[in-house]
Amino acid sequence: MINATKKWIFLKISGAILIPLMIWFILNLISIYDEDYLNVINFFQNPLSKMLFGIFIINAYFFSALSISEVFEDYVTNDKIKSVANKLLYASAVVIPLITIILISRL
Amino acid sequence: MENKQPLSPHIQIYRWHISSLVSISHRITGIINIIAITLICLWASCLLLGEANYQLINLFLSSLVGKFFILAITWSFSFQVLSEIRHLIMDLGYGYELNTTKISGLLVIFGSVILTIFFYLVGDTFL
Repeated sequence: MINATKKWIFLKISGAILIPLMIWFILNLISIYDEDYLNVINFFQNPLSKMLFGIFIINAYFFSALSISEVFEDYVTNDKIKSVANKLLYASAVVIPLITIILISRL
Repeated sequence: MENKQPLSPHIQIYRWHISSLVSISHRITGIINIIAITLICLWASCLLLGEANYQLINLFLSSLVGKFFILAITWSFSFQVLSEIRHLIMDLGYGYELNTTKISGLLVIFGSVILTIFFYLVGDTFL
């Protein structure tokens, strides 16, 4: 299987997983965004919320990195710029969710 | 070595159709969503700073601008959910007829507005 096919399959699987997670998260975000500190903390301290939020951000960054790299592929002509942009994209897709999960686990 | 791979033709040379509008909006909302998720990660991480610091964020989110911000994220998420479902159905080989693509595109556009209202009402009232 060539890399482009693997990328397409990963994109489709992560996209399908993201749909229920986005619905779950947006409903909960609407219910807590204007709540006081303790209610928001309670949401993130709940083990199920913590786990689902972790899966949601890992999947969302993975899906976005694959999608945005497609945009680079379509519209960026310079190979060096494309390579640097892709490396920054993939690095941020690992670092941001990882730091967030570590910080949330301390709540 | 020079890259000989052709790029996508620039979007302004096409006549606009529902499908092209949904396609470009799918990409734009995808980028908006990841920026929003990054801000949400920052918001969640800020909880570690304690209640006093959180008050500032809470003040913004409780304001009219904050509510508009949440509503905009809700629409962007709704659009992405419906558009992704449309993509997955098309990947299975369905919905390629011209009329069907127009109808499914319209369903994504108008459905995202309805879904935004639905999510807001359910999230605000029942959870």
